[in-house]
Amino acid sequence: MDSSTFEPKILALCCRHCAYAAADLAGAMRIRYPTSIRIVEVPCTGRVEAVELLHAFEEGVDGVMVAG
Amino acid sequence: MIVGEQKSLEEILGLLGDAKKVLVAGCGTCVTVCFAGGEKEVGILSSALRMKSELDGHPIAVDEVTVQRQCEWEYIDPLKERLAEYDVVLSLACGIGVQAMNERFPNIITLPGINTTSLSLPVEQGVWEERCQACGDCVLGITFGICPIARCSKQLMNGPCGGSQNGVCEVDPSIPCAWQLIWDRANMFGQMERLLEVQPPKNWGQSRDGGPRKIVREDLRLTERE
Repeated sequence: MDSSTFEPKILALCCRHCAYAAADLAGAMRIRYPTSIRIVEVPCTGRVEAVELLHAFEEGVDGVMVAG
Repeated sequence: MIVGEQKSLEEILGLLGDAKKVLVAGCGTCVTVCFAGGEKEVGILSSALRMKSELDGHPIAVDEVTVQRQCEWEYIDPLKERLAEYDVVLSLACGIGVQAMNERFPNIITLPGINTTSLSLPVEQGVWEERCQACGDCVLGITFGICPIARCSKQLMNGPCGGSQNGVCEVDPSIPCAWQLIWDRANMFGQMERLLEVQPPKNWGQSRDGGPRKIVREDLRLTERE
């Protein structure tokens, strides 16, 4: 793949109390972000386990962002 | 508790050889609480095996299961039906669990995914220190509750030796001298004279030196003795 056109698929695991609320706000403000970013709301990022990050990679994402 | 450490991914892949379909079997008891082979570790290792084997160009189908105790027949018997579809089982249980699987299911090879290391105490989160060697003839009653078999590098029955310096062992300064600890504790109770009695050589016949050990409790057996 040409590195100049490579757009990584990113999974964002966002805490509902902060990062997800921020993403919500970004949406309300009509701020754009790439479609290659997929946001999943989690009750708390403390709940995220290593195996979930691995499963995301197994499913083909290029990176995982844990935001909380 | 029985404590183990996971083998490296490279070693595990080497053990798996040409296997195309693998069942990773965890154990819900000792190796779960020492974070070596419980449900979580089964999930992480399985995922890693799937990705690594795919990257290496020889994808392995990996399924996961964790039983409450791999060292008891009644917990592993329910696995019997599903084993036929696998080339090999990778057990993350201790050596007892791995052997239980091989004995119970002789038609499929069960490989070890962890190294069973010791009978240890979790002295703090993430740190396990050896406390027992299952010698079969407990001496804690005469050593003030500190085991010289498991904790003295030389397994001395009368100590300390000349290698004890400032309370630590000459083998490694991170090892507290067990006999220093024993004497300190005897001193605390004002009973140092009890340690002046020279202990005779230990009977290692009750340990591994007498061959594999076995306990038979006739009062607990359900079948008649042959």
